[in-house]
Amino acid sequence: MKRAWAICKRELKAFFTTPVGYIVIGTFALISGLGFTVSFLFYGLMTESPSAYDFAAVPDFEETFLSPFLVYCGSIMMFIAPLITMRLFAEEHHQGTIEMLLTHPVRDRDIIFGKYAAGLVLVLAMVAVLVVYILIIDRFVAVEPAVLAFGLVAVFLMGAALVSMGLFISAVCRSQITAATATFGLFFIFFIIGYFGEDLPEENTAPATWSDDMHRAADIAYAIFRTFVRELPLDAHAKTMAEGILQPADIAYYVLFIAFFLFLTFRALESRKWGAGK
Amino acid sequence: MIEVKGLTKHYGPIEAICDISFSVEKGEIVGFLGPNGAGKTTTMRILTGFVPATRGTAVLAGFDVHEKPLEVKRLVGYLPENVPLYPEMLVKSYLRYVAEIKGLSRSSAKSEVGRVMERFGVASIADRTIRHISKGYRQRVGLAQALIGNPPVLILDEPTIGLDPKQIISIRQTIKELADEHTVLLSTHILPEVAMICGRVIILNQGRIVAQETMSDLAGDRSLEEVFMEAISVESEQPA
Repeated sequence: MKRAWAICKRELKAFFTTPVGYIVIGTFALISGLGFTVSFLFYGLMTESPSAYDFAAVPDFEETFLSPFLVYCGSIMMFIAPLITMRLFAEEHHQGTIEMLLTHPVRDRDIIFGKYAAGLVLVLAMVAVLVVYILIIDRFVAVEPAVLAFGLVAVFLMGAALVSMGLFISAVCRSQITAATATFGLFFIFFIIGYFGEDLPEENTAPATWSDDMHRAADIAYAIFRTFVRELPLDAHAKTMAEGILQPADIAYYVLFIAFFLFLTFRALESRKWGAGK
Repeated sequence: MIEVKGLTKHYGPIEAICDISFSVEKGEIVGFLGPNGAGKTTTMRILTGFVPATRGTAVLAGFDVHEKPLEVKRLVGYLPENVPLYPEMLVKSYLRYVAEIKGLSRSSAKSEVGRVMERFGVASIADRTIRHISKGYRQRVGLAQALIGNPPVLILDEPTIGLDPKQIISIRQTIKELADEHTVLLSTHILPEVAMICGRVIILNQGRIVAQETMSDLAGDRSLEEVFMEAISVESEQPA
């Protein structure tokens, strides 16, 4: 793990001796800050005259403002995480430094965990930006601690999941542009299927003329499809967590998601040895 | 120290090297000679564990490169053809990083970095960003990183490329001095360089070994140049 730490430190130095780290955190602060200001002011208007916004009473602070805001911050990472992950491996491939890394007494796990840890530190830095907003909120409203704690955990887990996926894509790309574009494309799919999921009817609407057996088969196929579309999006599991409800299934989703993409990264790094017969 | 038997590497349908066998004894300096695309870099990449061989075995100090890659990597200092440098790093932090991933302790990393910087004359640019140093300095930083930790085997892919004549002479001298405690395998395009540094030469052409001679055998009536031209012309008339 000593070597993983060395690799992590080097990655972090690379983030902050080049503009990348500052741009990443600065952009996050800018977009989340705009979102924060606008929605906080809007919430202020709603509390002054709830009836104008179709609320019977003053809307719940956590439910109307804080939880959606935190999920929104996690979603911003969709745009920013590709900038973090694109260079992790693709730059090494491009510069040829991967040859140095792979010919030194370093295990694949040192390389992957070192780089992933560096990505996580950047995600943590972004979560730290959110703490600033929360300190501001704290002056006006007493926030429910569970919402706050699990909300921040949810944002971190979303970022961690995105970074694991981006790390894998970077490992199979030679160019940072390709890596960033492919990563963003994949993230995008993961988020937009969530919107389709909301519109999907609960019951399968196969034509009535189909036989019973066909209907049963279609029901099963549709149920699987619907579950996937509803459960797969990265923000779906953050929503309940950001409302202060911690469900094991939500944590398991992120843990499995991260484990899956780290596993793929291991395979990608190992693929250099494939096709070597003895 | 290095035992290579029947090494073959295919890149898809292209045969980069074919049935290469040779051995290098401890303390020897062996030169790999050959035209571009002869398979010098591929052979070195297999020996350092960067790419796997399609067939054949390579054993370094008793460890098979395929089965015991970590043990082999601990024993080898490697200068790749394209010097692997991170442009945004300072020279000294780069060398420090290399020492860390070689697993050196904090204190020995510090003294090793000092030692190799001194040896390759890069101490004066220790605080400069790699992006801003000249080609000759980059090459020397590359050599310095290969020597960190004093590995018993050095594999150097074109170590003198991009250096000016004065630097070439000093690097050659350094490599010669290394032979006392290291086994060196280097590749080059420069024929006289082999004659000056190496004890033995292995000539590669189109992925095969076409000649292996010790320098003392060459001292007689035939020059290295003649041997080289003869070796590569014979093979190109009968392409594999």
